[in-house]
Amino acid sequence: MDAPDKNPSLLAGQTAHPTTESAVASAAAPELIGLVTHEDVDRARDRWEVARARWTGRSKKFGGIRLLWLLVGPGVLVFLGENDAPSMLSYSADGSRYGVGFFIPFVVLTFIMGFIVQEMTVRLGAVTHRGHAELIFDRFGTFWGFFAMGDLIFGNFLTLVTEFIGVRAGLGFFGVRPSIAVGGALVIVVAAITTGRYWTWERITLSLAIFNGLFIPAAILARPDWHAVGHAMLTWMPFPGGSRYEILLLILATIGATVTPWMLFFQQSAVVDKGMQPRDINAGRFDTLLGALLASVFAIAAILATVPLFHHGINAADFQAAQFAEALEPLIGHAGAALFALGIFEAGIVAAIAISTSSAYAFGEVMQTGHSLNRPLREASPFYLTLFGSACAAAALVLIPRFPLEFVVLTVNVIAVLAMPPALAFLLLLVNDPEVMGEHVNGFWANVAGVTVTVLLIIAGLGFGLATVFPKWLGG
Amino acid sequence: MDSHYADVPENQSALAPVDLKPEQLSLQDPRAVLSLLEADQVVAAKRRTHFGRKNLSIATKALLWGLRVYVVAMVVIVLISVYQAFHAAH
Repeated sequence: MDAPDKNPSLLAGQTAHPTTESAVASAAAPELIGLVTHEDVDRARDRWEVARARWTGRSKKFGGIRLLWLLVGPGVLVFLGENDAPSMLSYSADGSRYGVGFFIPFVVLTFIMGFIVQEMTVRLGAVTHRGHAELIFDRFGTFWGFFAMGDLIFGNFLTLVTEFIGVRAGLGFFGVRPSIAVGGALVIVVAAITTGRYWTWERITLSLAIFNGLFIPAAILARPDWHAVGHAMLTWMPFPGGSRYEILLLILATIGATVTPWMLFFQQSAVVDKGMQPRDINAGRFDTLLGALLASVFAIAAILATVPLFHHGINAADFQAAQFAEALEPLIGHAGAALFALGIFEAGIVAAIAISTSSAYAFGEVMQTGHSLNRPLREASPFYLTLFGSACAAAALVLIPRFPLEFVVLTVNVIAVLAMPPALAFLLLLVNDPEVMGEHVNGFWANVAGVTVTVLLIIAGLGFGLATVFPKWLGG
Repeated sequence: MDSHYADVPENQSALAPVDLKPEQLSLQDPRAVLSLLEADQVVAAKRRTHFGRKNLSIATKALLWGLRVYVVAMVVIVLISVYQAFHAAH
């Protein structure tokens, strides 16, 4: 190796590799000490709190709870973020069109699939300290990187539009004008990102996300038949009747309500921004499991809240958010309908924050500009402008008169499922790459689960494609 | 542009890890920051090091191309189905 005076940077051009070596003990420490940024300091502050919780946790009876409180975040956010406006509408369509039956255990299955996939992003982020987009560009080059980004940005933008549709429709139930509803939502998105601190942003968004639970009281007011729910969970019956094409479409939309590309990019980047390390992987798994559990309960609540529409034979085939709430009002009361509408509004807001952040993380990683919520605006203006710009553009589209909102809502979850297999292929290749993952490379059963999810998604997509091209095949 | 947190003398070479004990730690000291972060977690280190390009096998390339064709074909099918849905509705 050259002497330090001939090689001004020990790091430049070096190949990264998985390591748990402390920065202060590394060979590059003398160089790094003069390059510490505010982002590093904020991240170190979070790590300090985690280290203290670990020490005190050993001596206190419930000390581990504080540690989990500090490390929980990306997993809960990603799953409650994915319980977004179009997802809750998909669950509502399941409940209103087919009642209690197949779709309740099926929703649980989709969240298990979601957990399998998202757990891999926790490991990738904690081990490499790099976002998903950055790793794809690093390992597969710009050609495949731009393909992956194309899918992500296109899907993210469409989904973002549907979130503002949800905001507009949810508040529309209370008579709020669309411009005020959408403008107010934008203010909340901006308020969340201007904290200049990942931790604060995460806690604000989590506190908003927990209101996804509004669907639970709405479901209770709908007086579900718990015996039928238990029977459905055990038997997956009754299986929906009617047009097989419509059932397949709803199955696809329900999968798309749980497993989507933006979730991969978001959770991995959030794990990195949070500063998680390999020793935090188990906590990250718990976080992801907790998120999947909460989101599946809230999703089932959305199904149960709309089952009265099924029992009263109300055709909800083309319902949007406000129409669901309005149709539910005479059946479950004003309070239940209002909770439902507020739940859709909340789902839209939280997802708008998470999805616009996902786009901004990916953009920053690819452009190699600052991409952390720990950075002040002046140090990461492209990151914040992408975040704010994508939210503004989506919000503006929703306010255009005669914009085909129905078209976007109809297609967004289906497109999410269809774009998922390539995203999963990149994920599986990365998480099986020993040069990237070191000892945290995927095990046999994780691969079986990951490949199974990928194959199921491809089969679902192909079934949809065949049924569209040959509609008589499924009676469409 | 990053704003660096602390100015450190150029001749500083050897770094002793900071004693990470409660009430004694100051994050004003960049050594404390480096003690809490992993070597590959510091922004400057991440910016200058990269995982190199992976040599993609024929099978991997075939898989990625196959999935790419799948997505393009499926997007076309989605557009067809949406057109059909709107045509039927109006």
